[in-house]
Amino acid sequence: MAIATAQAQQPIDSCTLVLSGQVHDAATGEPLPFAEVLVVGLSSGTTADVEGQYILKNLCPGSYHLHIMQLGYETADTTINLHTSMNFSVSLAPSSIKVGTVVVNGERRHHEATTQSITTIEGQELEETRGLSLGEGLTKVSGLSMISTGPSISKPVIHGLHSNRILILNNGIRQEGQQWGSEHAPEIDPFMAKRLTIIKGASSVRYGSDAIGGVILVEPNPLRRTPGIGGELNLVGFSNGLRGAMSGTLEGNLTKVPALSWRLQGTIKRSGNMRSPDYYLANSAYQERNFSGAVGYLKPKVGVELFFSEFRSKIGILSASHIGNLTDLNRAFESNVPLVNSGFDYTIGRPFQFVRHDLFKLKTFINTGSLGKLTLLYGYQYNLRYEYDKDPPLNDSLAALNLPELDYEITTHSINLDWEHTQLGSFKGMVGVSFMNQANLYDGRFFIPNFRNFGAGVYALERFIKPKFELEAGIRYDYKWQQAFIPFKNNNVLSPTRTFGNVSGSLGAIIKPSNLWDLHVNVGTAWRPPAINELYSNGLHHGAAAIEIGDSTLTAEHAYNASATLNLTALGDKLHIELGAYYTYFNNYIYARPELPPMLTIRGAFPTFRYTQVNADFKGIDLIMEYTVWKGLSLGSKSSLLWAWNYSDGDYLVNIPSQRFEHNISYQFNSYKRINNAYVSLTGKNVLQQKRAPLNGDFAAPPAAYFLLGFNAGITIMCGKQPLEFGLAINNLLNQSYREYLDRFRYFVDAPGTDVSVRVRVPIIFKSKS
Amino acid sequence: MSTLKNLLLLSSLFAIVFASCQKDDVENPDDNNESELITTVTLAFADSANTANVRYFTFNDPDGEGGNGPTQFDTIRLQANTTYFTSVILLNQSGSAVDTISNEVLEEGVDHQFFFSTAGASATITYTDTDDNGNPIGLQTKWATSNISTGTATIVLKHQPEVKATAPGNQALGETDVELSFVFEIE
Repeated sequence: MAIATAQAQQPIDSCTLVLSGQVHDAATGEPLPFAEVLVVGLSSGTTADVEGQYILKNLCPGSYHLHIMQLGYETADTTINLHTSMNFSVSLAPSSIKVGTVVVNGERRHHEATTQSITTIEGQELEETRGLSLGEGLTKVSGLSMISTGPSISKPVIHGLHSNRILILNNGIRQEGQQWGSEHAPEIDPFMAKRLTIIKGASSVRYGSDAIGGVILVEPNPLRRTPGIGGELNLVGFSNGLRGAMSGTLEGNLTKVPALSWRLQGTIKRSGNMRSPDYYLANSAYQERNFSGAVGYLKPKVGVELFFSEFRSKIGILSASHIGNLTDLNRAFESNVPLVNSGFDYTIGRPFQFVRHDLFKLKTFINTGSLGKLTLLYGYQYNLRYEYDKDPPLNDSLAALNLPELDYEITTHSINLDWEHTQLGSFKGMVGVSFMNQANLYDGRFFIPNFRNFGAGVYALERFIKPKFELEAGIRYDYKWQQAFIPFKNNNVLSPTRTFGNVSGSLGAIIKPSNLWDLHVNVGTAWRPPAINELYSNGLHHGAAAIEIGDSTLTAEHAYNASATLNLTALGDKLHIELGAYYTYFNNYIYARPELPPMLTIRGAFPTFRYTQVNADFKGIDLIMEYTVWKGLSLGSKSSLLWAWNYSDGDYLVNIPSQRFEHNISYQFNSYKRINNAYVSLTGKNVLQQKRAPLNGDFAAPPAAYFLLGFNAGITIMCGKQPLEFGLAINNLLNQSYREYLDRFRYFVDAPGTDVSVRVRVPIIFKSKS
Repeated sequence: MSTLKNLLLLSSLFAIVFASCQKDDVENPDDNNESELITTVTLAFADSANTANVRYFTFNDPDGEGGNGPTQFDTIRLQANTTYFTSVILLNQSGSAVDTISNEVLEEGVDHQFFFSTAGASATITYTDTDDNGNPIGLQTKWATSNISTGTATIVLKHQPEVKATAPGNQALGETDVELSFVFEIE
């Protein structure tokens, strides 16, 4: 869907026109409640009421592009010349499964007007990431990178912040896995998502205290609203590691009970040992299988939705990464080839992780025309993590039990109650409360204690919306109670309790004086209590050959954040520029500082990291440029620049992504007979060496800069009425040997070499039984 | 409004579930977990001239790596120009029952080897045991001390599954299970 423009050049004082009307079902003529009516280019719009009536006020005379959407219906795009207030009604046709919506400028669309920098991945861009992990898929967004542990474990980094500072909303529920470790990937099946939305920057007011660095929303399609059954099948195969992924979705809506919809979805993935240009990565194989199911009873005024998903993965950890002590680690650094070698194998041996995540969600809403919409969300999550060391215990009877050396089980219940009030004049807003109750159980070697968490929050967000500008203000209070249970000598238990409470707030504005440019500005404060690992961890990380020690006296971390995003359109819609700048100052930023001398243990010397707090800042620029050279030929460029500084120690911070640039040339072919959406694109990614790293904060110096070439192509072929989508991708086209600073396995091995992947998407269309 | 009533009913139902889902064992973490540690290394030196005369030197870190530091780290004191029969004893004293890990090492001798080295004070150390393949393990050794001097004696246990080299072995291979540098005094 392309962004057209609104021509409205009159001064604001003459902007008093009203556009109103009704949205109908084209087939039945019935009014369509709650259709979205968007004025493209103004980033504004409204939602129709129960009777399908919509009203847009304070419009200037001019030409407007309206974009009308309703779930289960084809969207309608139309242009209106507004001279006087007028009535305009629209009919929407029920949709069959939509075929290959091509999104070229995926980064430029702002679905919901927000004063923050927000990016959405969907359509073609999302399809190109199929088969990849969530962390890998998100690296195509400017300002995002990933922290990884080899090719099979990755987690997203937003503007240099990750883990405990990023919130992931999985289908509306705040993901409560085990965020602390860099080798703990988000337990989410990306095939479930039809849209990934990334909010860059603190979003604590809406989403809670941990959202200091940003929020990632993983959203499935809404349940099917048109009678009948449909679905899709995805198949992806990769040459490197002979990886394969298969995912299927089946969904339906009951003809006899039109309010009742359902969906079933499942994914299986398997990979053998991946290969870097010169050798196989021993024991990098993994397996994953996920399924989810949803049932919804949705009426315009009231609805209930149940959702369940289970994620299971077994991930091999690179054998060479498991070392005994500092001497072994140094030997691994000095060796150009991994100390443990292998050929190709699908077998997952020790060391490995087994992770399971169950999610149950219940969502109910009441939509009253006059009072607004009340939504209740309940979530239950069970997260299980087993970690197996490289070697089983020497003791035979212990080894026979085959127990994991590390074992955590976290159970979380959460409740959110949100009330969106109906638009009052130019005001739109919501208030809400949330509760969370969590318990962790550990077994095996001590690293993280048992704990209980209780959290509660209350917030209010209000927006003042005018055609040329928008203001937004929000405030939130969060309370957290936390008790840990730490085993002590002679079966005694230490049970320290910590409580935290704090206010966060945000203020923002959108200025859109013309259709050629707009400016989004946001300032805010955010905080988070220290996480359980930062307070109480105490033990050995085998993979890192490091001892991590928490500090139970840590206080809350506070962030003060400012960001601005400028969107520019020039040269008659041929050039688009998005320039984002951000600054975050941290008071009591928590990180693990290396401690000297290394700790003496029975295994020899171990580097020791102790959690500590410093004052630090993060500042950066994200720049996206797109230029249409000629018809389907376009050039794109993304730059992500970030600087971080530790004021307390007068030094750089460790593990901050280095500066990176991505340039792209793509060509979109015209549709021809049975062929649609054909495109090719070539991408060059240039990642500089991180020169701003603390001298004594790491085991080895940051690796050299690297340049990677990638190729992507896609095509949709109609076989009768059945569309078939094909995609081809080649990553690391030149089979470059490189190591990435944020990959923990960079100490041991090179990153994977050339990877050719082929994907097929088959939308399944059954005839609706109407 | 019956829908509102239903919603309230539903939410209160969940509030009950929310409050009642408690697990008692969270409060009582099991200290005696079954993971395996080597907490204690003891070197026993029997004078070859009088094997009843045995000296014991110990390193002890009862909670393993991390946590509290070692509680005992003896200096190895041996007579000059004397030959000793030396045994290494590895214990796990973190659990309720003491586990003799050196027995397990002996059992898996083909995957393990001890390496000894001295600096400052010197002793000639020879292996006196072998694994099933006839290669040294190092649980049993013979130490012939030199003149009066002070230095260090380093003992390293390498886990070398499937890669253990033939005699005299290769310290560069495998993963380190034990690495201790004792102060070594020849008196």
